Amino acid sequence: MRPSFRPLLVMLGSLPLAAAAMDVIVPREGDLSVTVYRAPDRPDGPISLNNLGGFALVTETRTVNVPQGDSRIRFEGVADGIEAESALITGLPGAVIEKNRDNAVLTPAALFKATLGKSVMIARTNPKTGKVKRVPAKIRSDGGDSVLVETSEGIEALHCSGLPEAISFITHPDLSSTPTLSARVRSPAAATAKVTLSYLTRGFDWSANYTATIAADQKSMDLGAWVTLGNSNGTGFPSARTQIVAGRINHATDEVEPLDIGSPAVARCWPIGTTSDFSDQFEEIIVTGQRREAVQFMVAAPAAAAPAAVLVKLEQLGDLKLYRVPERTTLKSRQIKQVRLLDRHNIPIELFYGADLPANANVAPQAATKTLRTRNDTAHHLGLPLPSGQVASFITSNDTTVLLDEVPLHDTAVDEEIELPVGTSPDVQIKAVKEKTNVYTRPPFMAGVVRFKSSLVDDVNRIEIQNATPAEIQVELRLQLPEGTQVIAADAATSSRGGRPLFKLPVPANRTATVRYQTEHISLRPAVHK
Amino acid sequence: MKAKTPLWIGSAVSALAVLPVVAADHDVSVTIYANDTALIQDHRSINVTGGRQRLEFQNVSAQIRPETVSLAAEGITIVEQNFDFDLLTPTKMMEKAVGQEVTLVRTSPGTGAETREKALVLATNEGVVLKIGERIEVLRDDGLPVRVIFDKVPDNLRAKPTLSVTVNSPKGGTRPATLSYLTPGLGWKADYVALYNEADSKLDVQGWVTLTNSSGTTYDDAKTMLVAASPGAPADTNTWTPRPRPRSTLVQPGTETGSRERVGDFYLYPIAERTTIANLQTKQVSFLDVHGVPAEHAYEFRNPWLGTSEKPQSAQSVYRFTTSARAGLGDQLPAGTLRFYMHDKRGEPQFIGESQIDHTPMGSLLSLSTGDAFDVKVQPTVVKRTALGDFNWRTEMRYSLTNALPKPVAVSLLQDGLWGDSTITAESQKSKRRSADVAEWTVQIPANGKAEVTATITTRF
Repeated sequence: MRPSFRPLLVMLGSLPLAAAAMDVIVPREGDLSVTVYRAPDRPDGPISLNNLGGFALVTETRTVNVPQGDSRIRFEGVADGIEAESALITGLPGAVIEKNRDNAVLTPAALFKATLGKSVMIARTNPKTGKVKRVPAKIRSDGGDSVLVETSEGIEALHCSGLPEAISFITHPDLSSTPTLSARVRSPAAATAKVTLSYLTRGFDWSANYTATIAADQKSMDLGAWVTLGNSNGTGFPSARTQIVAGRINHATDEVEPLDIGSPAVARCWPIGTTSDFSDQFEEIIVTGQRREAVQFMVAAPAAAAPAAVLVKLEQLGDLKLYRVPERTTLKSRQIKQVRLLDRHNIPIELFYGADLPANANVAPQAATKTLRTRNDTAHHLGLPLPSGQVASFITSNDTTVLLDEVPLHDTAVDEEIELPVGTSPDVQIKAVKEKTNVYTRPPFMAGVVRFKSSLVDDVNRIEIQNATPAEIQVELRLQLPEGTQVIAADAATSSRGGRPLFKLPVPANRTATVRYQTEHISLRPAVHK
Repeated sequence: MKAKTPLWIGSAVSALAVLPVVAADHDVSVTIYANDTALIQDHRSINVTGGRQRLEFQNVSAQIRPETVSLAAEGITIVEQNFDFDLLTPTKMMEKAVGQEVTLVRTSPGTGAETREKALVLATNEGVVLKIGERIEVLRDDGLPVRVIFDKVPDNLRAKPTLSVTVNSPKGGTRPATLSYLTPGLGWKADYVALYNEADSKLDVQGWVTLTNSSGTTYDDAKTMLVAASPGAPADTNTWTPRPRPRSTLVQPGTETGSRERVGDFYLYPIAERTTIANLQTKQVSFLDVHGVPAEHAYEFRNPWLGTSEKPQSAQSVYRFTTSARAGLGDQLPAGTLRFYMHDKRGEPQFIGESQIDHTPMGSLLSLSTGDAFDVKVQPTVVKRTALGDFNWRTEMRYSLTNALPKPVAVSLLQDGLWGDSTITAESQKSKRRSADVAEWTVQIPANGKAEVTATITTRF
């Protein structure tokens, strides 16, 4: 017996809508607004459609005809990632008794479960004559992983006979084909209401993607940025007003229950063995085409850059930044979309070569990191909030553009300094040498019953910078000092940055420069008793 | 049909009369606790015959904790309770049919004609072995279509996990009974929507109780009660985590008593009407709607001991309000999530962050952080650490604060980890020691401006 996987035909026949009389189904129409928020704990950097950890606030208006008395208003077609507890429905007349969100949607497996113990029809096709015989039957087990049916003849297992068999369901389970939010409402009179529905939904994220193009003279750059936003929901948002919010906000999304798309209904038979040595444990028939794999999707290629892009409009939202996409746009399901964030030109920059070195340690020669520095203010043709994202830096010379580096940028407020690494430079090498350690004994120290040897230690170090470039360069060296260690002398200009010593010096073209520095710290060690 | 020797008639329990308890007139009460536990009380009329018998209860929670089941009815004694998971599958059917006769229906591939014959099931190991007349055959060895028809479903195979109770009753008759049990899979929490009005610093707060059902069963038309308590939850006081604890949201616990129904020390949130709690459903019912609560918007930055940063870090955006009856929400708040919204320039509410809150008594002062402030930043720097002597350190701190907003702001700057015996020997502005561990400076930053605080702290470490 070869393994055979045949789809079990699920025929829905003519379905009398079993919906109660007071059910009001409200399809999607009217105004849509989507505000996309970035994942709160995602590090700065790009997003991937396969794993969108951010979320969105969806606001929409729908027109509802509310009948008098008790009714259930069903809003179909909400995003499948909806966080039901955040849903707000305003504008309904009368009293909202409760709001519900049903995660069970219509799938073949759900259909079997809902039909357990109820009447169905089995259609058997005679393989020779092609004649279809229909017999009434009752489902006796729920299609979790097997289907047993009872007919007037007795009990049979579905799909174990080798005959083409299918089930026609007669009753319609109370299941929607799309995620549905509903409200139980009691209205004193029939009315037509304009209802605003708003909810948070998972499966969105956005990131800013900057391109920094350094001019050939390395004195200025152009900065452009796209907002890349993604929707991994199965629901699209046609012609929506779209906003993006920058800034890190608290939001926990881990408590959301997943949508139950059901496991595939599998009709599993008894062990089917043969007298040949080729045997199958089970004959499994996949009943459904809707499988979990269907939810996964391919990464869409980012949309191509529009030639003349319309910029998003910025406004302040409390302590956050809200960017409005100027025109209505369609956010399709499983789509990545880009809109232009900013375009700034001739931003004055300063370039330097640097290294971050541990103090009092030998460091083998390493290539210096080239870094771009500017300030986010109007004097530098900037002066606007820069939301976190990824920066790709390029340099142009003689019509050639070369990618230098790709680095993350954190949320940068107006007037903040910006430092962006733009690659390492093998022509500038930096090494550190520990030259000498001096130890001076101090009077011993008693702490309780423990006696400590106390000494003052100083270290003399040398840092060498080799410049193989044909130009004079600026070098900045940052030291990582151990706890309690101070720099007591240095032969280069010493300043401090973030509480750490910084040596700044120019290195002429094709020359070597040397910095000597001396540190000191107190060493306490328990005295060894002999 | 020949006489059969059904195997399943061997066991004592199945030999008893089985009475499925019909769910015709049942009345369910569901009491849900805040930690994914619910007490289900199922009141039904049961009809018992005299003597020993088995009662079956279907439609109980699929996640029922069988050890918590109790059946109370007049004049019956319980012999034993079983929760049967032996589910009806084709494999089980065939296994239970060993030694019995089944009907085979063969369809000829040549003519399409059906022939019927009886077969005795001999074995089902790795394939079904049948005895047909004097022949021994393997079922569908040739791959040709064969239907197998069983006469009946064995008594102890169920389509769903089923609870059965064997009882002893001296006399028969119909009587009310209550089946109660605990089940996980039902839980509730509170969800609040707070709309902050920046112009007059007021909050409109709506509260919803959100109950979720993932227990696998639907409770029809249930009387529902929510209890703001987590019984049986392990006390987390014994677990010590070295990570800094999340910032406390409760500044000052309240001392006012609310008007809501209580049982013991717990508040109850009854749902006014009977409701159907469907499986895989999230249900929300409103319980709070307050407008114009005065609130204060502030900024907070907490620096850990020796915290130093090369880049400015965002301060937290914080909202403070009280739950007192006089100038606040006027209610105790069950634990849950409070989501803040604010109107954008077009007047549309936008989400601006959320905070978890614990069960909060009435009259409390809450301080909730919604996230980072984009424009208000603090760069803490350890300028110098000097060993003044043995076990005597001097730490010079500098905090650079920036404000890119077009309005002045006040930042509550907190230096944490001071231990008890450290002293601030010099500071650029007066600090308040919130506790032995924490010093607080309230720093005013002008619009689009900067401020700086320096402090020298002497410690033993």
